[in-house]
Amino acid sequence: MTKDLAVHSVAKSFGGVTALAECSLEVRAGSITALIGPNGSGKTTLFNCVTGFYRPDQGEMRFGETVLTGLRPNQIVHLGIARTFQITRIFKNMTVLENMIVPVRQLGLRTLFTAGIKGHERERAEGLLEFFGIAFLRDEMAGRLSFGQQKLLELAAALMAEPTLLMLDEPAGGLNPVMIDRLTGYIRELNADGMTFLIIEHNMGFVMQLCEPVIVIHRGRVIARGTPAAVRANPAVLDAYLGD
Amino acid sequence: MRLERRLGQGWPLRRGWPWAGLVLLLLVPLVLPEGFYLDLLMFTFMYAAMSVGWDIMGGYAGYVSLGHVGFFGLGSYAAALLLVHLGLPVFITAPLVGLMASLLGAGLGFISLRTRGPAFVIVTLTFTYVAQLLMLDLKSVTGGSQGLFLPLLDLPANLVIVPFYYGMLALLVIAILVSIAIRRSKFGLGLIAIREDEGKAEASGVNTSLYKILAFAISVWFAGTAGALHAQYLNYVDPDLAFELIITLNLIIMSLFGSRGIVWGPVLGAFILYPLSAYLVFLVPSRVAGQVHLAALGIVLVLVVMFLPDGLIRSYQGWRTKRPKDARPLEARASIVETTG
Repeated sequence: MTKDLAVHSVAKSFGGVTALAECSLEVRAGSITALIGPNGSGKTTLFNCVTGFYRPDQGEMRFGETVLTGLRPNQIVHLGIARTFQITRIFKNMTVLENMIVPVRQLGLRTLFTAGIKGHERERAEGLLEFFGIAFLRDEMAGRLSFGQQKLLELAAALMAEPTLLMLDEPAGGLNPVMIDRLTGYIRELNADGMTFLIIEHNMGFVMQLCEPVIVIHRGRVIARGTPAAVRANPAVLDAYLGD
Repeated sequence: MRLERRLGQGWPLRRGWPWAGLVLLLLVPLVLPEGFYLDLLMFTFMYAAMSVGWDIMGGYAGYVSLGHVGFFGLGSYAAALLLVHLGLPVFITAPLVGLMASLLGAGLGFISLRTRGPAFVIVTLTFTYVAQLLMLDLKSVTGGSQGLFLPLLDLPANLVIVPFYYGMLALLVIAILVSIAIRRSKFGLGLIAIREDEGKAEASGVNTSLYKILAFAISVWFAGTAGALHAQYLNYVDPDLAFELIITLNLIIMSLFGSRGIVWGPVLGAFILYPLSAYLVFLVPSRVAGQVHLAALGIVLVLVVMFLPDGLIRSYQGWRTKRPKDARPLEARASIVETTG
């Protein structure tokens, strides 16, 4: 049921700045793939291209058989690709539960005007909040949650869209070690249930213990791909991180 | 937070007071058949209904429309023309005229709402002027600046206001019920998500363009329908009267004053501000009433923005939760749980 994500020679530049140059990579269904690289190497740009926020200048992106190029972000979510943002984005003036209901697939006039929070959707939302240990906050305004809780809420809400591929942009950023351990556990558990992950992360400890394969991009191109150990030993990667 | 949320979701319907209020208002024409008060209440209903409508777009989705009076004016003209040329009574055509306004709104939204940001504000303002100019220049159909006279209703002079009173009251009830339904629905959650963070809403799978267009279409239905009733009430319509920009400003100020994005906010705003402004017009010499009224509106707007930016309901609610039982910040309470997992 889960699908591979294939990015084929995607390029994107902003004015004269090339963010992605013929970037090709593949995320295999069922994997926890890491995307690493120095600051400004194009990781988030790639995320934005895949999720429809940017339209690439060239290249093709497929999810399974479906071509993603040219689709709008909301259409891509409904194909089964959900994402989180580098700077956590939640709806601060909505309750935690309302935050969870927004990503529920909403089609047709009939379902659109039925009550927002009810029935099995509510159960699913509460189940996920339970899973992430923030169910006790369900009626709080999301803006009042702590930073770590907001990150978990964003993750939980992304799951409400029933994705098969979850793209996380620096999920461990700013979290304390205890929270990072919890996060690792959640991702492993979801992955065991068949969820594919593509994760941008600067925390190398987190990447090395959780992800395989690791893809390294530098200046908009993939320069290495392999197991954490192999990537760490790759001279091109060291070069990219330590400067030319 | 709790009170605001309850008010926001129209919770008081489960309480008696909105229904008691409705019964009271239904009885007013029987006990108090004096034209002045009925006229005052009728216009209050009209503004409240349109303001609730405006708030569906401006409060829930956060997109400020400066074009509602354009739909009000076109509604007036459409109803007038249907009556003058086809003899169709306004009380039957008004909801259909509203639908026409909705279709037009959807069209306008299709042009201006597919992108984010201020394009919408500008397009709606421009729309008002274009609509006014059209009615002014299509002389053969609309009578140009001389306007159109509508046949009078066949009722005794002291009773003529009664159907308008109930018509506008019905419009207000519909507006409140629609607003409550939207606030409770997924559609409403999507609109509020758009207001909060449109990019994130899109990343969550909300079809933002469709939602905004639909919200705008619903929002202007009330302006179009009210315009139709208004034209018959005055038995007259002309381009100045029908497209007075001050009507849109009234809707916005009422919504801001009561609290934007809360079902009862615009209702409260209209029920306070319209009687006040009518009283003001009543007090000052009619020669300068228009100017004084405008100046007063300006002052109210400035005061609201400076001292009551969240509106009455939210401010009251904020003031109440400033002295709560548990004033500890949420983070302090939660962190214990967080670390113990």
